[in-house]
Amino acid sequence: MGDEINSKRKQDQQQNIQKRRPNKNYALKKRLPLRPKEGDNVIFITKKTNFKAQLDKCCDLLTKGEKDIILHGLGAAIQRCCNLALQVEALFAGTCQIEVNTGTVDLVDDLEPITDDLEFGAQVRHSSSIHIRIFRTALLGAN
Amino acid sequence: MEATEFDASLGGTENLPITANSFKFAASRSIEITAMTESILRPNKTKLIFQSLPVHMRRRVMSHNCKRLPRRLREGHMEQLKKSGLPPKQKRPSRKYRRRPANLLAEYTRRQRRVTWLETHIWHAKRFHMTERWGFRLAHRPCDKAFRACYRATSAHCLLQDISYFVPILIKGSIESIENMFSLLCSKTCGLGVTAKAFISGNRAGSLNIFKPQSYPFGFIGKVEFQWVYTNEIPELLIFVHPSQIKEVEASFSSIILSEDSKLLKDSKRIKLSHNLSDISINVLYGQFNRFRLTGPKSHAILTHSLKTVNTIKLSSEWVSKTKNFDLYLQEKHEYWSNISNLSSPSQLPSRIVIGLIVKDPRWSRPKKRTKAEAVISPTNIEILRNLPKYAPSSPLWHTNVREIIKKNIITNGKFIEHVTKTHSVPGETNEDDPALQNIPVVLIQRPGSQNSTYKKIGYGSGWDIILPSGYGLPFWLTFIMFGARPGGLRETEHLSHEKGETYLCPDSVSGTLEEERIELQLKEHYFKRPPSKRVNFIKLGILSPFRCPWMILLRDWSSCACDNFFILRETNIINELQNCLNRKTPIITSFPNENSCLVAVYLQTEGKGLIKDHAIICMPNFGDFKSNKVLQEPQHEDKNSKIRKEKRLEHRKLLKKIRRAQIKLKKKLTEKITKPKTKSKEPSEYVKSMRDLWLKSFDSVRHACVRQTMGYVTKGAFSFTEAKGCAVGYIAFNALKYLIDSKFNKILVRNTTSNKYSVANIQLINNI
Repeated sequence: MGDEINSKRKQDQQQNIQKRRPNKNYALKKRLPLRPKEGDNVIFITKKTNFKAQLDKCCDLLTKGEKDIILHGLGAAIQRCCNLALQVEALFAGTCQIEVNTGTVDLVDDLEPITDDLEFGAQVRHSSSIHIRIFRTALLGAN
Repeated sequence: MEATEFDASLGGTENLPITANSFKFAASRSIEITAMTESILRPNKTKLIFQSLPVHMRRRVMSHNCKRLPRRLREGHMEQLKKSGLPPKQKRPSRKYRRRPANLLAEYTRRQRRVTWLETHIWHAKRFHMTERWGFRLAHRPCDKAFRACYRATSAHCLLQDISYFVPILIKGSIESIENMFSLLCSKTCGLGVTAKAFISGNRAGSLNIFKPQSYPFGFIGKVEFQWVYTNEIPELLIFVHPSQIKEVEASFSSIILSEDSKLLKDSKRIKLSHNLSDISINVLYGQFNRFRLTGPKSHAILTHSLKTVNTIKLSSEWVSKTKNFDLYLQEKHEYWSNISNLSSPSQLPSRIVIGLIVKDPRWSRPKKRTKAEAVISPTNIEILRNLPKYAPSSPLWHTNVREIIKKNIITNGKFIEHVTKTHSVPGETNEDDPALQNIPVVLIQRPGSQNSTYKKIGYGSGWDIILPSGYGLPFWLTFIMFGARPGGLRETEHLSHEKGETYLCPDSVSGTLEEERIELQLKEHYFKRPPSKRVNFIKLGILSPFRCPWMILLRDWSSCACDNFFILRETNIINELQNCLNRKTPIITSFPNENSCLVAVYLQTEGKGLIKDHAIICMPNFGDFKSNKVLQEPQHEDKNSKIRKEKRLEHRKLLKKIRRAQIKLKKKLTEKITKPKTKSKEPSEYVKSMRDLWLKSFDSVRHACVRQTMGYVTKGAFSFTEAKGCAVGYIAFNALKYLIDSKFNKILVRNTTSNKYSVANIQLINNI
């Protein structure tokens, strides 16, 4: 499921941050990305949350009568988001369909000065994103 | 026979003296006199006082109700009642009497004499367990068991805390002299200073570690939050100090200024070279502001729902006329606030921005029922998030006269309701622009929360701090509550710092030591309240100090020389380097002075199952500890004291028996009842004290007390909801960390105080102390 790769990546993350740092005088601090429309049927996929828990959440929503659910994945979580959608599709064999959109999300990073004679800064970073809509094609009782 | 006469003049034997010495006369009868007066004052009669009254002054049920006695006798009567063992009954005034407004107010002022109350005290006292801390009566935890709900509020909703107990201090003076003053109080290596360019515009608030003057790295006082405020051209520094540290902060400020003054007198030549601090004035603004802390993503929605900014303001409004030459930027701020109102979390905004707003009375925007404020999310222009406007931080709240006028013109709840019923003919309709209610300046400060995704999820713990003028605490508080904020107390503050993996009241500061003492006392009391058979035998478990962490002994054990003081490593660069060494298992190259008396703050996460609890010991692993599947266990230690305790207990029991027997004998002899003086002193007896000492071993070395070497201690450990496993904040000796890295480990062993099992935990250094 890619979790092994993720755990390996996690170790290297510290170094990655330093690579991404634009200037030695600033420390890069991340902000929360802007969210698209929120709702009960919208799930933001993270790498940290247990995969099984996210899968169960999707299944629960669908079985409880939600017509469609929307999964959002950002950056490294895209792979997991795809995995999840495919798993859900397989579980609801034939009663669900997937609609995939990809896009780019603008992220803002704070640049915190390390020395006293500098101002705060901000930089915009772009990250690829995926938006998957899973919707039912057959009626509830069919499952 | 003739009767003999007594007097000599009549032929008797006795001569009268020519003179009578009155002093001698009185002195020889002094004993009689005292006996007489005593018997009058304290009659040795079996009669009670009210029985000795003349018949016409006696009243029915006099003994029962002391108010029927003459007032001068009441005290003696109460004494007698106490002696006879009857508890003196004093009737509590009726509830109706007590609840009369004047009496209630008198009672409230009486209760506030010793400790200070916050403005929301009465609201809290009805719903919270209150504790006394740092000279305040503060909310500790809500009465409904809302531990998990409070966590959920911080991570998904909004937790609201009243932190008005933070003491604001306003420092005026030229920027150079303020910079000079703070250069004595803190170190450049710990992060940005107060006069950093990033802060001086007042756009951002900062935080700073403060030390005693020129004693860095020792003598840590605490972390203060500061911001520059502009009332005119020259900025002033406003700092918020934790109440446990306020005395030390004040003392160090005054010592700096005084020592500078004395220098000024000594030689005028040196002043030109050194700095002149005499232009600094320090003003402690007790009770001038309210500060509320909103934590959690929904805090932004709550603020946007409850704070309605004003577009235009009438100059007739009283405080506005005082700020004629101060630009309020009403229109711009209104636009900015509406632009950022559709965000889903405060952590999407620039970190630590300060926004001064002028808002309508919060009572207008309250919903009828408690409803959850939901953000209306619509696409936001990213440029707004990148740049922060220059006018944002300006606020008339910092003007003293404005605050005074606002306080004077407060409309109380009663008057507000009266006003609404009088003017609003259609119920439910509100006229928000009613000129009768003044507009209020407030200042918002953003808190970014976690900004490092490898440590905690981004944005956890983010929120807003809102500073209000005094008097407006409760109206704002209730509006936030009605929009779905969950109130929290001190327990939530502690819990939040644990969840965020931050330290709370560091042990190298006085406030931290006091906190440790308090916890120790509490735990000890709890421990010794249990019967001996239900107590954990810490000696058998090899735990030397289960209630308090002996930092000094730990450091002495890990260094060759003895040190009399210690500090916690706060230099970000060094901590980062150490973390890198720990990750890559490469030896430490960096070195800094006073390594021997240095503690390093660490964040522990258990691997797999297991919880770390408070005061657990952090141990050095041996080679092969992680490879075997067997759980490492501490062998049982021998408790040499158990025999002594047993003997002592038997001895004491014998003694008690002896005393009892003697008493019975005495009773029989005297036949009359001897009333034993009932002294219920809280101080335990000598026997109890000596027994307690035998339960906890005294020690002078901790490092090699168990099968694994002790590296440090956990100060706060519990299950962490963000990580879904046991996490803890603790401190280890720097030399122990060095040893750990040298032996190429990046995991450690942890053992709880009540267990003999060692569990494996990951170790991370805490960077933002």
